[in-house]
Amino acid sequence: MASVDIVNARKSYGDQEVIHGVSIGISDGEFVALVGPSGCGKSTLLRMIAGLEEITGGDIRIGDMIVNGLPPKDRDIAMVFQNYALYPHKTVAQNMGFALKLRKVSKSEIDARVQKAAEILGLIPYLNRYPRQLSGGQRQRVAMGRAIVRDPKVFLFDEPLSNLDAKLRVQMRAEIKELHQRLKTTTVYVTHDQVEAMTMADKIVVLHDGIVEQIGSPLELYDRPANLFVAGFIGSPSMNMFNGKIRAGAKPFFETASGARLPLAKAPESSDGRDAVYGIRPEHLSLGGDLNIKVTVIEPTGAETQVLGKVGEDKINGVFRERVTTKPGDLLAVSPDLSLVHLFDLKTGNRIG
Amino acid sequence: MPHALKRSLIYGALIIWTVIALFPIFWTFSTTFKVAKDVQLGHIIPWVDFKPAWLGLRAIGLSPDTIFTESTPRAEFVKRFWNSIQASFGASFLALIVGSMAAYGLSRFQYRWKIWKNNDISFFFLSQLILPPVVLAMPFLVLYKELALLDSMLGLILIYALSVLPIVIWIMKDQFDTIPQELEQAAMVDGCSVWGAFLLIILPIALPGMVAAFILSVILCWNEYFFAALLTSTNAKTLPVMVASQTGSQGISWWSMAALSSAAILPLIIIGVFLERYIVKGLTTGSVK
Ligand SMILES: Nc1ncnc2c1ncn2[C@@H]1O[C@H](COP(=O)(O)OP(=O)(O)O)[C@@H](O)[C@H]1O
Ligand SMILES: [Mg+2]
Repeated sequence: MASVDIVNARKSYGDQEVIHGVSIGISDGEFVALVGPSGCGKSTLLRMIAGLEEITGGDIRIGDMIVNGLPPKDRDIAMVFQNYALYPHKTVAQNMGFALKLRKVSKSEIDARVQKAAEILGLIPYLNRYPRQLSGGQRQRVAMGRAIVRDPKVFLFDEPLSNLDAKLRVQMRAEIKELHQRLKTTTVYVTHDQVEAMTMADKIVVLHDGIVEQIGSPLELYDRPANLFVAGFIGSPSMNMFNGKIRAGAKPFFETASGARLPLAKAPESSDGRDAVYGIRPEHLSLGGDLNIKVTVIEPTGAETQVLGKVGEDKINGVFRERVTTKPGDLLAVSPDLSLVHLFDLKTGNRIG
Repeated sequence: MPHALKRSLIYGALIIWTVIALFPIFWTFSTTFKVAKDVQLGHIIPWVDFKPAWLGLRAIGLSPDTIFTESTPRAEFVKRFWNSIQASFGASFLALIVGSMAAYGLSRFQYRWKIWKNNDISFFFLSQLILPPVVLAMPFLVLYKELALLDSMLGLILIYALSVLPIVIWIMKDQFDTIPQELEQAAMVDGCSVWGAFLLIILPIALPGMVAAFILSVILCWNEYFFAALLTSTNAKTLPVMVASQTGSQGISWWSMAALSSAAILPLIIIGVFLERYIVKGLTTGSVK
């Protein structure tokens, strides 16, 4: 186990830079999720930690050792790949024991450790099978088994669940989390799925186009997104956003581009007339109030009801625990929870209140 | 009944084709046991058309009455046969080692030589097949003379390896391309060096392709005539050259030529029958799903 420190790390392919000076501190035993849209550089960053990509600038430290030039084999890390990368010519047991064998661990010790990992992952019946004889979920477990028998300093996961079906994904999510609670190994987990990141991680790093947008606990990111990108990326269904102007005064409000008025608890200092973005999460709207939504679609799921509609020219989306009796074309009166309204600067996208 | 009819038509066609394909081989084998008259009269079926004789096998010292005696023709034949084996297996082995490494490099690393990138380099290798070997005749004759490689087994192995190298690289690059890069990356994370990942993980997976490439290049080298005739004489001469030299001044000695030809095609038939599925497997299937 060890901490991982990434200090101003950069990566270029040829003259194209894809990681633009990223700094992340990961403490010992922490579960960190790297999340961001496809192509934002998550895998590249993970592979830089693993030593599979050279870094073009900055430092990466594992424990108190700078590992910039160290080959992967000397970094004492284990990695689970998206396509599992199981050795097709080796059995499950051989796959899991390969790293130990390379380290000249005795045969009996290897057997014992493989056995123990297989027990944890429920792989005992499959130890003598080949990867091609396993289902997707089983292969995924073997890939994890290969990582945990090593007892490495750091686990690296690159979208390990994205090849599984939805149900299995939820199940494996819980299993990986449980495994982490049991082993307490420092973990860096890459995913493009914000729900996965929210449910599993102690700390989330939101990446976008090779820069860090925000680092924080899942709830920090949810409650106080630092900018428009994080606000739109974290949370499902995603936050309602309206472009317009702040109107300060005795009774402040927000005027959307199409003229609708949205309530504000208070306006940020000297912000009257400022171009801004008003954000409110669908689940932070409640029924009753003086904001009228023109309903277009109603989606009841039993536990909650999702209402899609329009305020002025802008689309809005509300999620209510109550049963909603309305139909498309009707007006639905709602009110935003004023303490949970987000304001962002229109130009910079940064949070202003 | 149309189904049964269709089947019998298909089988009929296959049988006819089999006969057509096997006839030259049958003819070569049977001619070994003919005398001059039988060859000229076009006798085909043994015991019906002609009475088998030991002429052909006697010419290479392998008939029942000569096999246990001292025999110069047999010594000559065995030497040529052994030369052919050495040349084709030695060259294929060499080409496989060099070719696999070249193919792995082209598949996994980005090279740049002036304006040439990986694809251009690959095409350059493959383009060597377009050139007729005749173009190389004079340069190699001069080169080999200077290097004292004329009529030596080493010289023959080197030029054979060179001539099958493009095919080996082509097959092996195709193999390596189908193996996901994550496999050696996983191996490196597990504790391998670049070479360790290549030798312990990638080579075993690419084995079917290697077997196919090896067999194919053995066949190509085994059949090679031009360079053997050009660059060898008494010492390193191979079987095909010996077969061709049976057209002596007293006309063609059909039976001994047939006996030599039979001996030359026998190994290929064995390869064809027993190893064909490895060739197909290696050339068609990628490695992993
Ligand atoms: N070998 C490479 N050569 C050039 N560009 C690359 C290479 N690998 C990745 N990239 C680029 O780097 C960016 C980040 O890629 P990646 O880390 O795989 O994204 P993610 O995993 O977040 O989807 C992408 O724009 C991709 O095109
Ligand atoms: Mg990726």
